[in-house]
Amino acid sequence: MEVASKMMRAEPWQTAEVCGPTKAQELKKPVVVGALLKKAKHPLLIVGANALTEKTRKKSMIDYFIELSTAAKIPVVATSNTIKAFKEKNFDNVYSHGVMEIAGKLQDPDWMVAPKKGPHDLVMTFGYPYYMEWLMLSALINFAPQIKTITLGRYFQPHATWSFPNLKKQKWNDALKEILSILGGTK
Amino acid sequence: MTEQKRARIKADKLDTGFGSFRNVEVTIGKVIDEDWDEPMGPTPMPGVTTLRDWDHKLLTKYEPSYMPACQLCCLCTFGKCDLTGGKRGACGLDIKAQSARIVLAACNIGCAAHLAHARHLVDHLIHEFGPRYQLTQGEGVDIEAPVSRLVTGIRPRTLDDASSILDYCETQLTHTLSAVHTGQEGSWIDFESKAFHAGMVDQVGMEIADLVQISTMGFPQSDPEAPLVEAGMASMDQSKANILCIGHNVVPAAAITDYAMEHNLQNKLDVSGICCTAWDITRHDAKAKIVGPISWQLRFVRSGIADVVVVDEQCIRTDIAQHAQKVNAPVIATCDKSCMGLPDRTNDDVDDIVADLVSFKVPGVFIGDHNKVGEVVVKTAIAVKPKRKGKTSLPSKKKIQELAQACRQCSECRRACPNDQPIMEAVLAAQEANFGPLGDVYDECIGCARCESACPNEYDLHSWMVTAAKDRWMNESYLVRTGRGAIKDTEIRAVGQPVVFGEIPGVIAHVGCANYPDGGRAIHDMCEEFAQRRFIIVLSGCAAMTVGTIKDDEGKSIYERRSGHFDAGGVVNVGSCVSNPHIAGAAIKIASIFAKRNLRGNYEEIADYIHNRVGAVGISWGAMSQKAASIASGFWRLGVPVIVGPHGAKYRRMLLGRADRAKDWMVYDARTGNEVQIAPGPEHLFYAVENMEECMVLTAKLAIRPNDTARGRAIKLSHYIDLHERYKGYFPDDVHTFIRRETDIPITLKDKIHAQMKENKWKERPIPDPTLLKRMVFGGNGGSK
Repeated sequence: MEVASKMMRAEPWQTAEVCGPTKAQELKKPVVVGALLKKAKHPLLIVGANALTEKTRKKSMIDYFIELSTAAKIPVVATSNTIKAFKEKNFDNVYSHGVMEIAGKLQDPDWMVAPKKGPHDLVMTFGYPYYMEWLMLSALINFAPQIKTITLGRYFQPHATWSFPNLKKQKWNDALKEILSILGGTK
Repeated sequence: MTEQKRARIKADKLDTGFGSFRNVEVTIGKVIDEDWDEPMGPTPMPGVTTLRDWDHKLLTKYEPSYMPACQLCCLCTFGKCDLTGGKRGACGLDIKAQSARIVLAACNIGCAAHLAHARHLVDHLIHEFGPRYQLTQGEGVDIEAPVSRLVTGIRPRTLDDASSILDYCETQLTHTLSAVHTGQEGSWIDFESKAFHAGMVDQVGMEIADLVQISTMGFPQSDPEAPLVEAGMASMDQSKANILCIGHNVVPAAAITDYAMEHNLQNKLDVSGICCTAWDITRHDAKAKIVGPISWQLRFVRSGIADVVVVDEQCIRTDIAQHAQKVNAPVIATCDKSCMGLPDRTNDDVDDIVADLVSFKVPGVFIGDHNKVGEVVVKTAIAVKPKRKGKTSLPSKKKIQELAQACRQCSECRRACPNDQPIMEAVLAAQEANFGPLGDVYDECIGCARCESACPNEYDLHSWMVTAAKDRWMNESYLVRTGRGAIKDTEIRAVGQPVVFGEIPGVIAHVGCANYPDGGRAIHDMCEEFAQRRFIIVLSGCAAMTVGTIKDDEGKSIYERRSGHFDAGGVVNVGSCVSNPHIAGAAIKIASIFAKRNLRGNYEEIADYIHNRVGAVGISWGAMSQKAASIASGFWRLGVPVIVGPHGAKYRRMLLGRADRAKDWMVYDARTGNEVQIAPGPEHLFYAVENMEECMVLTAKLAIRPNDTARGRAIKLSHYIDLHERYKGYFPDDVHTFIRRETDIPITLKDKIHAQMKENKWKERPIPDPTLLKRMVFGGNGGSK
């Protein structure tokens, strides 16, 4: 996997969205995601409505996240109408919360998406307008210090703990494929 | 507490033993409003901390969730201070309090904009009509200015009363503004309480602004059949001289139409507006036209249709003079808040000013005398039109294709776009004379032109989009109902009971700016959906314009299809930004007219009533400004939930309830004094949704109130369940939490709900007479809180 050597810079995708003294660590190698997930006790995947229209290669992002969730045994929070797509595929390990709700609830160190599935120590996000994800991650980095965050989108999110730099589509596809492979999903 | 009302004597000439005086005005002490028998409530003219306990109740139930846009503070020379990781700044604030401070700052700014607007109107109108001019909101409105009555304990009956009320507001704003200074407030909850205070004061200021202009300027007065007026870029008659007015303060625009009418020049002129001045000029003169919402400033000015651009105040593009200059359209700045760097010609001869503008000797002028504005603008527009010859700054498609060849493919345009539009891809398509993608971007463009600022080739990319979509906007014409003003008492009397009981499932207010995530169609679709469901839809500002842009198969806008009456299924445009208090006022009047509660200086009790009983939900789909923040804040203090579109997340603070924490959902039963469990409704007080689908479901859910009757609860649940199943694809799993008794269950959904109730070990609960205030328990069983 040669993703790292061809990555673009780790700077906010929307030009003015700078935050402060710290910014996300650059995810240079997808294997890091696998290691972080293995280390986490109660990870959570949060998926927004942009996942309904985006694809990685020919695979819908909903299918991708079902595979990822199944392989890594991670519960999914699907915000807004995103949950409908998961339900239609008879995927059950999915919960409905609004994006602002989940950003708020995760600040409570005792909150968990379902009994025995938390409290959460690692959150992965995907599928939001850039600025909205940026703000959700700001809530978590500032007020949920017990949680590490990974953003799986193509664009660098400085408020995450780990983020890809701004990636071209092909590189991003490669990275997602490798993450799934590391976790034991289909290649 | 007596009303703070001064008596004034004004004389053109006064002969005394001391000599003879001209233009004398004498103020004599205070006069009590003796013929108003409504008893004064406990909190007339509340100070910053008077309603603090109420605020803390709300802020405990709906705790802020902050999302700082910046982890630094750079407001004083101690800093910059790093507030990451629990660190405190040199002043002692942590990031939570600093975030709350930013919320207060935004609400202060918004409140100040409205108050300054109101103050200008009142002073101007006192100058024109005298301080004793009688105020009215129209026939059928006995409870005029309900917000002012509620907050100040004064019913404003004259312009002088209005001025006294603004004195109070200005004092309060000074206090809340001062709290933002370094080394003042230190607690997030008290910053938030002060933000609520600024929002409440803002509601009063806006109400005064609209009351005085309704009373004096010939606006519709509580008229559900206010005129339908022409809107859209194609509604301008380009054979006439076109005058564009931008902003919120109608005084200069009214001076223009008045001058044209007095001099029989209407057949030579078209006067139009963008943003709230558009609404208010059509309320003053229904022949005036509406270009569109705030985001259409650049596209219209660059089109060259406007021969003169007049700016007043608020939400104006601050570089509009530069853009107007490119199309030889003189700019007239009229407001001391936005002089635009133009020379002050207030005291110059009209003909000299016109000559300089028409010869393009100066690109624009500032004129502080509104009557002079009317004359200068009309004369300039007529004289400059033949010289301008419709000059446009929009490039031809051929020119765009030629320029596009040199695109550097750097993506800076897309990275600068708030909506992440594929601008670069559209430019690349234009290289091949394919202008479809640029036209598609136009449909979702909010007109900020950040793409242009970012482009290293200095392409006028917004203009490219406008050119690509020319066929569309050249034919864009529709009818919208102009602002009616207040809701009549008789309308409230008719709907008060069904709203409080839940049989009219809710009142939904779409207000605010045009910072839409994906065009404005969503607002129309939400209004239509909920109007069909017999909610009452109330509108104001740019949202009210956008709703009208969508036509049905017969070419009719929603305003042509639906009644303007405040009733189930009605679509009610109250007017401009400063008309928003008519919406709050409707909820307040429900408490007064239906429930016979005293309003006068009785804020907390009425807010408690509205919060627990009136299923009102505010939505600002394109909220952009600090004014929108303070407007929302005024609704929060009344306990009314507000939803914003995705960009509203940038207000950086939500007010979230926790449906999963039963202890947060307790009220007193006013009949018994017992604390009783209620359903988690309204679940949130401020919430940014991800998309229209989420907004639809959440709106229906937030309309649920503890006081709903069984029938009302069943109706509201039916809507919530139906929308949830449509957009989320399954039967909602929290329905059982909203069932108090068997009779709450929508009859057609009985089986599913029974199964869910059984699964969750549901138990019957009483339907309380709900209040958060122990003192409201009958028999006074509760002390002061």
